[in-house]
Amino acid sequence: GWAPVRRGLPAAPGPCPRRGCGEAAGLRAMGFSEEQARRLLGLRPRLGPRHPEAAAAQLLLLGLSAEAAVGLLERSPALLELPAERLQGRAGELRRLGLDGGQLQRAVRRCPQLFTVPRKRMAAAVRLLRERCLFTAEQLKEVLGTCPAVLLEEPRRLHHHFQYVYFRMGVQQKEMVKARLFRMPFAELRNRHIFLERRGLYQTPYKGQTQTSNPKLKDILQLPEKDFLASLARSTPEEYEVFKKLLAQEEEEEEEEDEEDEDE
Amino acid sequence: EKWAATAPRIPPTRLALHHFDVNYSLQLKDLWPSVRASLLCEQKYGALLNNFSAVDHVTQELELLNATDFVSQAPKKALRWQRGAAAEEAGRGESRSQEGSGEGRTAMQAETMTRAETSPPLRPSISSNIKCYTFPRGDVTRFRPARPDALGLLDYYLMDAASLLPVLALNVQPDDFVLDLCAAPGGKTLALLQTGICGYLAANDVSISRTKRLYQILHSYVPKVIRETVSVTSYDGRDWGQLQGSTFHKVLVDVPCTTDRHSVMEEENNIFHRRRTKERQMLPMLQLQLLMAGILATKPGGEVVYSTCSLSPLQNEYVIERAVEIAETEFNISIHVEDLSHFRTLFQDTFSFFVDCRLGELVLPHLTANFGPMYFCKLRRM
Ligand SMILES: C[S@@+](CC[C@H](N)C(=O)[O-])C[C@H]1O[C@@H](n2cnc3c(N)ncnc32)[C@H](O)[C@@H]1O
Repeated sequence: GWAPVRRGLPAAPGPCPRRGCGEAAGLRAMGFSEEQARRLLGLRPRLGPRHPEAAAAQLLLLGLSAEAAVGLLERSPALLELPAERLQGRAGELRRLGLDGGQLQRAVRRCPQLFTVPRKRMAAAVRLLRERCLFTAEQLKEVLGTCPAVLLEEPRRLHHHFQYVYFRMGVQQKEMVKARLFRMPFAELRNRHIFLERRGLYQTPYKGQTQTSNPKLKDILQLPEKDFLASLARSTPEEYEVFKKLLAQEEEEEEEEDEEDEDE
Repeated sequence: EKWAATAPRIPPTRLALHHFDVNYSLQLKDLWPSVRASLLCEQKYGALLNNFSAVDHVTQELELLNATDFVSQAPKKALRWQRGAAAEEAGRGESRSQEGSGEGRTAMQAETMTRAETSPPLRPSISSNIKCYTFPRGDVTRFRPARPDALGLLDYYLMDAASLLPVLALNVQPDDFVLDLCAAPGGKTLALLQTGICGYLAANDVSISRTKRLYQILHSYVPKVIRETVSVTSYDGRDWGQLQGSTFHKVLVDVPCTTDRHSVMEEENNIFHRRRTKERQMLPMLQLQLLMAGILATKPGGEVVYSTCSLSPLQNEYVIERAVEIAETEFNISIHVEDLSHFRTLFQDTFSFFVDCRLGELVLPHLTANFGPMYFCKLRRM
């Protein structure tokens, strides 16, 4: 409970001279400025002041600054609805997965859904990365630290994402980790890769060989689109726009064909 | 077969692509990646309007979809380009913002600008009745399948719009005797009929089965009275010179070739299949013989258009050069290779042309205008 924090504050029997100052007191005591406290209390007014206090406290315990905690709750006010124990428990689970300190802070800031996603889903993602994709414990840690959103992914999609890069692009786990593979949505990666491939600038390496002339996964993933087109694909935005439309059409048709095959 | 286990069968499409990678990257240099990707993506179509059907509501329907008849639009657009270019030359000349598409186009525009100053006003020779609708650059909308009108004639024929360029280059005049030497399945024959002015039209193709398809197309698009004026035959086109020499005002020689787009996309009926290697190597020879026959079938003063849907200079410019030489030395016929560069100016909005083609014109596939490849070259028998 947070009663200890509130103790020592003057009880407010009469009307408070400044509206809301009583409600904000708890937050003020935790180190939030008056302005920050007002923002927090405005998020879900019907919940009363206790909820924001409890949630904010959990975030501060993760090491987030007051401003970062406010920002996070503003982006995901749904967190205010969760019981404080849930936040606390989830923080512990994330730590046990290997996220610590700054990594943990960055992870929850980038991806607040980590508090709401079912635990089973996270566990499945982790198992998949370790057991089917064969990332080492060390690599897994880095994947989680840099792309925490993988924990939200459906294992089937994650597996497909991995297999595409492993088999179709011929890239090893080590390079995937370095390139922050899971940061780019799969569809976008596929667009870029197939665009390069059709232009003759990317080849699937034969088993065991590495194709030295292929561009680095890191560059394919991390260059902004403009630079990707200019320096890797040596193409124009107009061509790429059309290409993306056509590829989406192709994919749609493949799916339709698959469905038809299933019907037969 | 034991060795089959160690030598994996490489699909013909892969062989084709490899062949093109080696050859076309030398020819097209920096343009090749862009052409390559275009060949491997869905091509664009044009809808050749069937003037024999009731077309009014069809044109309305197409225009609502934002498609335009590139044939009738061409002179207007080209004029605008020319004016724009002239204005730009006269003006500050800085910051030519090219929101166009791709290197090919930019180079082409630059070239057009210089030519625009010197060339005579564009000849309005494209006054044919041929109408072909295409969607604008970058628009990937597809046409619905053709539909029959009240009399059962289909409203349009879907084809690679670039295939129309050889027909337009032929520039049929009223009462011309026209020969389509390799005509099946008949897209260009149909376009020739759309002019409505051929005096006589002979459509030939050596393949009986493909000639059947030609008949089918005539049947689906052309009223009986007109259909019956077309003389459809199945001779080996190489013999045509002997059969009917010096007869025609206009001859179209649309030869069999490596059909580059088909070869990288379809396994079936692929000329890069190992067992067709010999046939493939013989293509330039066959093409040359067909072109020679076409030249011999032409009246003095008449014109021949040679075309392929390949990027290969060996099947394009070299065939032309050899034919011109043989006509001169062996038949004492002198040939003039006509300048078709005004086609580039006229149709630059619809197609991407290759600027460095030595003889004739070559449409390069480009993702924003994914037509072609289409090579065409016009010869005049003197
Ligand atoms: C590129 S296709 C023609 C397409 C046709 N002009 C059109 O627009 O629909 C080439 C045609 O040449 C025919 N061909 C091949 N060898 C020939 C020969 N020796 N004489 C006449 N036709 C031949 C093939 O059967 C094939 O139909």
